[in-house]
Amino acid sequence: MAADMPTTFFGWVVFIINQYGSALLQGAGVTLMLAIVGTLIGCIIGLLVGIVQTVPVTERTNTGLKILNKIVQFIFAAYVEIFRGTPMIVQAMVVYYGSMAVFDIDMSAMLAGFLVVSVNTGAYMAETVRGGIISIDKGQTEAAMAIGMNHFQTMYTVVLPQALKNIMPQIGNNLIINIKDTSVLNVISVTELYFASKSAAGVYYRYFEVFFVTCVIYFIMTFAASRLLRYFEKRMAGSADYQLVGDPMADPTGIFPNNTKMGGK
Amino acid sequence: MATAKKQPILEVKHLVKYFGEREILKDIDFTVEQGNVISVIGASGSGKSTMLRCINLLEMPTSGEIVFEGKNILDLSNNIALYRTKVGMVFQSFNLFSNMTVLQNCMASPVTVLKRKKEEARQIAMKYLEKVGMEQYINARPDQLSGGQKQRVAIARALAIKPQILLFDEPTSALDPQMVGEVLGVMRELAEEGLTMIIVTHEMAFARDVSTRVIYMADGVIVEDGTPQEVFGNPKNEKTKDFLARFTQNA
Repeated sequence: MAADMPTTFFGWVVFIINQYGSALLQGAGVTLMLAIVGTLIGCIIGLLVGIVQTVPVTERTNTGLKILNKIVQFIFAAYVEIFRGTPMIVQAMVVYYGSMAVFDIDMSAMLAGFLVVSVNTGAYMAETVRGGIISIDKGQTEAAMAIGMNHFQTMYTVVLPQALKNIMPQIGNNLIINIKDTSVLNVISVTELYFASKSAAGVYYRYFEVFFVTCVIYFIMTFAASRLLRYFEKRMAGSADYQLVGDPMADPTGIFPNNTKMGGK
Repeated sequence: MATAKKQPILEVKHLVKYFGEREILKDIDFTVEQGNVISVIGASGSGKSTMLRCINLLEMPTSGEIVFEGKNILDLSNNIALYRTKVGMVFQSFNLFSNMTVLQNCMASPVTVLKRKKEEARQIAMKYLEKVGMEQYINARPDQLSGGQKQRVAIARALAIKPQILLFDEPTSALDPQMVGEVLGVMRELAEEGLTMIIVTHEMAFARDVSTRVIYMADGVIVEDGTPQEVFGNPKNEKTKDFLARFTQNA
């Protein structure tokens, strides 16, 4: 056996890819799943928290609602501060072992992983969404209210579509951060890419070679995510020009024939 | 002009508005009758815009009453959103929804607020876009239009809720001079059709020629309220005279 061992760096890399390639790819799959699902659920949490945090309270709001609003705001603010203010690696330990010790819930490491990533992302997204909402020109809200929309309708049809478009880069940022940061879940033995790499490296004590491969896999995932999100951003921006709709008065000489492309930037 | 028998559709009574310690509106009183075209003129900071914004409750009055069709809309029991569908607003900065096309902007209220069917809402929107001469641009986004075009779309959007009163907050102040005409033209047409309008404006010629009534405001009070002939031709108050004199000099 020993005689067959590779002697060069690239020899080792090839050897490791042959031996542990599928294990590493499986780990990468888990990483990607954790990151994508965590970011998605995190976005939903963040959206809800962010929206509630920007509900306006006016003189006309009745007292009961005002009190309820205060309580909910306090809870959400606490949530955001606590989960932004503690490391995810520590949150993973507390959630995984704490759920067992305190609530007697035997959570799988994977479930704990999803939970921690989602809740953590949610805390960051809440702030992002809040920022996205308050960055929308007040005139947009006023115009919506002036044509009779209530707060919910204004949010749903006018403010959120614009805010979401503006925070798309930040959502992408979070996805990329999550792809990398799910590596901390190895402490609760979630078999994501880092965990798989550590196991593989331990067998032959080839840490550098294994983690070089790991590095490349992480980069491919984040780079692909980054490009994909850029593509979606572009699509959301819409086309740069527009079509004039048929005009019976259009210039008969054909200098400006119907449906010519016009305008745009 | 002022026929006392006519039932006013809007009555503003003792309207007071504070921003913090500053009293912006001091006891504003006036009534609007069906078909009135009221121009509100006055220097910047005189409270014109605030008064207009108080009328459709974008600013909450500190005290006073706003009576619309016999009901004080400041009563907590009244549905503000419903009231706003009857009192439209056109803004200085257009405020077209930038996530929607021209057509979607005009369909937003019929669909979302009035719960009309898409096809019906489209017809309503097209009708008013044709009125303002923007029917060709239904697929454009607001940022692809000129200022004058945006304001015309904004007027169509406001008309699409079929308001009983339309409020204009300096509708031409953000426009390049060559675009003012197209917007004023649309407004003039609406006035001739009998739409009740309150227009905060610096366009003195328009106020003089198109309005049925002119209100001059200074320092948060209504100084003069009368027909264009009265206010422009024979102002009673010194402040009004000064203000108008400065304007005719500049013109």
